Amino acid sequence: MPGPRALLGLGLLVAAARAGGRCRERGWSWSWNRGWNRGWERGWERGRCLPHRAMHSPGTARPGPAGLRFLGQEEAQAIDQELFTEYRFSVEQLMELAGLSCATAIAKAYPPSSFTTSQPAVLVVCGPGNNGGDGLVCARHLKMFGYQPTVYYPKRPSKPLFEGLTTQCKKMDIPFLPEFPAEAEFIDELYGLVVDAIFGFSFTGAVREPFGSILSTLERVTVPIASIDIPSGWDVEKGKADGLQPDMLISLTAPKKAAMHFTGRYHFLGGRFVPPALQEKYALNLPAYPGTDCVLQLT
Amino acid sequence: GPRRPPARSPRAPKSLPGVERGPGCARGLGTALSPVLSGACSQGSRAEAEAMEKELLEDYRFGRQQLIEIWGHACAVAVTKAFPLPSLPRRQPTLLVACGPAQNGAIGLVCARHLRSFDYEPTIFYPKRSPDPLHRDFTTQCEKMDIPFLSYLPTEVQLINDAYNAVVDAVLGAEGTEGTAGTEPCAAILATLRLVRIPIVSLDVPSGWAAGPGGSGDISPDVLVSLAAPKEVARRFQGRRHFLAGRFVPEELQRKFGISPREYPGSDCVVAL
Repeated sequence: MPGPRALLGLGLLVAAARAGGRCRERGWSWSWNRGWNRGWERGWERGRCLPHRAMHSPGTARPGPAGLRFLGQEEAQAIDQELFTEYRFSVEQLMELAGLSCATAIAKAYPPSSFTTSQPAVLVVCGPGNNGGDGLVCARHLKMFGYQPTVYYPKRPSKPLFEGLTTQCKKMDIPFLPEFPAEAEFIDELYGLVVDAIFGFSFTGAVREPFGSILSTLERVTVPIASIDIPSGWDVEKGKADGLQPDMLISLTAPKKAAMHFTGRYHFLGGRFVPPALQEKYALNLPAYPGTDCVLQLT
Repeated sequence: GPRRPPARSPRAPKSLPGVERGPGCARGLGTALSPVLSGACSQGSRAEAEAMEKELLEDYRFGRQQLIEIWGHACAVAVTKAFPLPSLPRRQPTLLVACGPAQNGAIGLVCARHLRSFDYEPTIFYPKRSPDPLHRDFTTQCEKMDIPFLSYLPTEVQLINDAYNAVVDAVLGAEGTEGTAGTEPCAAILATLRLVRIPIVSLDVPSGWAAGPGGSGDISPDVLVSLAAPKEVARRFQGRRHFLAGRFVPEELQRKFGISPREYPGSDCVVAL
């Protein structure tokens, strides 16, 4: 009975560009990617993944699933660039998937029924770059999931992407605050959760206003904070001991080194769009996402 | 689960100015009607779908690529619900994704990519590629995910039946008209799809159905994934599963176009109708 391989033999299949260094049998790559939930050590023991065995020195201690890599800032930027240039993804596409991941992780950890405020009110604080864009997408999906998001978006890039995302939120009756709540206590009273979408993995240097004041206020807030990709104000690799201490971190694509300093309750992985070839190239060792979920709980 | 707004009674779809609605529409599309009237109905429904898409793009400022990504992802999720991995009859989780030259085809490309990330093994047949740079990017993304592209579709239908667990029909969708359904290469694809024995999942509108009243020449999909709202022609659907990928539609637009609000499970982007 002819299967896909027979079609290959008949010359009907045109092989797509294949990444170098892959095993002939496709089976191993599945057991690799899905191995976290299905005992990848077995695949390892079978000796099918010899080239990869060399890549992962067992001696390096890392928090989280064994072998999961935590990226440096330059690496994270390189992967991002490669997704756009080599793989031809658009920021628009990946931002939609990233924002959906964030909203989904929040829905898992903080279901609307868990809010003590009368409505499941969420404050989404959006920064001046792509992290802010992720926040806008997240806010829209939170609304669709039954939350009541409010956005604070003080510095808006005048680019169609961000203008479009802002309009989408406004047309869905998501309010945009004209000014940031002056006191942490006001935030605690009005909202059950804050989404920190201020700075992401490109952040370097000093924090410019108004974000310095915003972060100071957020540091005194007692309701949970969910940070998108990097807790804002943290060094992307070293963290910030006296900075924001979020309850949840949603690492996008792969966790960055800062995540090793994360001490909150929930660490999720999101951004389920990394092609297998790119995962292999950077030896990301991402654990398998469950089913069709766009998020994976790491801790 | 998430708190839902109070249920609203569904209202009949509003007529748009200039769109004639024949009596057949009120009664439900019947094949007993003259071709002109039932044609007017499917045209009317398409005009509404186009009007909604226009509003999403122009008033809500969604990006076209963003919408196609949302739809393609939702279609892939629906496919996994209709054909969960453990339930597939073949040893390999193979799927054939047939993509037409226009937007329905682009949705198929995105669907294939997400299916690949869900550990299925899609193979794409995309004979007439759109020159649109957006569609070219979607194609590259699939190629870079190591998704094979067939150079031609075997006319020997048994080869398809044996190689794949199911076919995703992303050929014509709502764009199919008397003209396009009859031209190559879509005509040949449709001819083959009519003969396959494996299940077909149609995206939005079964290819060829929008061309006119139902007939014995129509393909018979097992699964239909309606985008945003079911189209008029979906009334003829008699397959096993009908999904709606409509969670992304803002409430105000749902009200305006008379789309009944649905309860979506958890954070799912599709719901079984």
